[in-house]
Amino acid sequence: MDTGLKQSSKSAQTGNEPLLQSPRGGEADSLLQQWQNQLSFKQHPLEYIILGISLLVIIVFAVMIDGFFTWGNLSIIARNATALTILGCGMAVVIISRGLDLSQISVMVAVSAVFGLLLSTGTDYMIALLAAFLLAIVLGALNGWLIAYIEIPALMSTLATAMLIAGFCRWGFLQGEFLVLIPKELPEVIFLSTGKISVFPVSVIIGIVVLIATYVLLSQTVLGRMVYAMGDNYISARLTGLSVRTATVFIYIFSAITACIAGIIVSSGSGTVDFRIVTNGTLLFEVIMVVVLGGIRLRGGRGGVFNLLIGVILISVLHNGMTLLNLSGQVQNLVKGLILISAIVIDNYINPRDAETDTQGDL
Amino acid sequence: MLKSVKRNICLGVATLLTAGLMSAASIASAASVYEGKKVIFIPIAMGITLTEGWSKGMEEQAKLNGFDYEVRDAAFNMKAMSEIFAKAINDKPDIIVAHNPTVQLLARLIRQAESNGIKVLQINLQSNQKSTAFVGANWSRIGKEVAEDIVAACGEGSGKSGKVAIIPGQLTAADSVMMNEATMAVFEKHPEIEVVSNQASDWEPEKARQITATVLQQNPDLCAVFGHWGIHTIGAGNAVKDAGKADDVLVYATGGGNRVICNNIEAGVIDRYWSYNADGQGRDAGTMLRLMMQGAVPPEGEMLEVESPLIVIKKESYQPQQCWDLPAK
Repeated sequence: MDTGLKQSSKSAQTGNEPLLQSPRGGEADSLLQQWQNQLSFKQHPLEYIILGISLLVIIVFAVMIDGFFTWGNLSIIARNATALTILGCGMAVVIISRGLDLSQISVMVAVSAVFGLLLSTGTDYMIALLAAFLLAIVLGALNGWLIAYIEIPALMSTLATAMLIAGFCRWGFLQGEFLVLIPKELPEVIFLSTGKISVFPVSVIIGIVVLIATYVLLSQTVLGRMVYAMGDNYISARLTGLSVRTATVFIYIFSAITACIAGIIVSSGSGTVDFRIVTNGTLLFEVIMVVVLGGIRLRGGRGGVFNLLIGVILISVLHNGMTLLNLSGQVQNLVKGLILISAIVIDNYINPRDAETDTQGDL
Repeated sequence: MLKSVKRNICLGVATLLTAGLMSAASIASAASVYEGKKVIFIPIAMGITLTEGWSKGMEEQAKLNGFDYEVRDAAFNMKAMSEIFAKAINDKPDIIVAHNPTVQLLARLIRQAESNGIKVLQINLQSNQKSTAFVGANWSRIGKEVAEDIVAACGEGSGKSGKVAIIPGQLTAADSVMMNEATMAVFEKHPEIEVVSNQASDWEPEKARQITATVLQQNPDLCAVFGHWGIHTIGAGNAVKDAGKADDVLVYATGGGNRVICNNIEAGVIDRYWSYNADGQGRDAGTMLRLMMQGAVPPEGEMLEVESPLIVIKKESYQPQQCWDLPAK
């Protein structure tokens, strides 16, 4: 990997500056510059706006709801946000590479269904876990292969695999059933759903580990730099000799692995794997929403873990506060939709369509 | 004397023969009533014990009596369900069995089917639109009975907070609408009962878990959770259990009473369960189909109705035979 790419992809994480720029100064200057860029309102207006809205929402809820701003409630917010955060990590990497994974929830449910079925037949927990991860890797690789080698657009191929995976899993493994029960009496399942390390729930710690791993992947690895390069200009990345096809396969495998982790956490908590969230649920839209809301553009090449975190904080706090205020699901969806539209409108106002968007188009 | 005995025997034999012939003719005529008839069942989704149980009962009757029976699965896709229903009307079956996801979704199509001479049997979940027949639970009765049980367990003199969380499936689903109305009517007479949350889970166990965990954190003295369907209430019950409150918070649910639920009652996830026995409903639906084919007509402006008997299953008096098993396919 040449220095130019390393430099440029790191700066791409931070905002709107051009991807290809010459290396300047020493490593320390570069790091300082990177942090300055990361904190610059000019470079990241949307992120600051969403962060501001989040703070405002937190203050409003704290005033309106007794016990909102307590450790117990914050812990519940974090626990309920874990799956969304983990799924968001996978989706963020895919979107930054200018892709989209519509099969993420199907993979999550299929993999956790297999995991649940194995557990209910008495298979050892670790073997069931290993089987779930292997299946996730295979499904992720299938997505990557279809996109990179068969050259089907990500939108279409992942839409097709979403239906294929959910349909095959229901027909092949569940004989048409919609629900798999997880044996909640297993100590590993109990540990994952109720366990704590110090004062932190185990599931939240896993979420944090996935966040850190995603940060490291994006900012410290060759694959991460390729993700930004592909997202910024896929053709250029390919012409410069980057192995974009292999990278694509790994990107979708990463997304499938995050789906697997989220699925195991969700099913351990609720004690069920429910296929209706593929056909009926709104989880996929929520995952895309937290990614986009935080400032990761659908056209790729921009954003990072920080952006994802901003989106997750806003949506999770809204969920929690609106639940405590006893607002119906319809009102909750209305509020979330309004916030998303507002964010996109503000973003379009602050970042009007430029030559890059006109050339490459939105997703 | 002998002559008289002989005459009586002959008379008896003749009577028996006549009765036998009449009965055979009647059976033959009943059989001909069913032959060539077609029934289409449009469930919200197959693959859940409720619809599988109903379908089993209706299919058995179809095989026994020689009418055609077909299932067209909407697979939880509401748009697809309307389209499937419209297509079924075009196919001109004799009876459509409709499992309404909401009170409005199929109302217009049910009216259209009935006006085209297709009888509609609504199963368990009613639409706003009346049709020829309904087989299913009396939701108002379930809501009232559960609410009264909650009042007894959490109300005055119980030493409990009186705080209750309700988790409907969908606010516009017939069962949720009717149970909510009936429950609130009871609670209104008991000001000591406070409904701290009434939010739909979209029938999803994970959403029910998140709602319950949030409400429980805010109301650690919560007395009862009333989930409108057993399957999503598994998520709510697990949230209660995970919070270490299984002994303090009563988890109520309703449903078809399949083994899955009984396993969760045994595991202490659900405490009290109003079962309308989906297996029995399947048998009732099969019988109702036969009556409709025989020409049974409801009184003007009414529906032929079969109300499902209820079985109340409580953790403390639970018996395995209170639930039913779906035969393996």
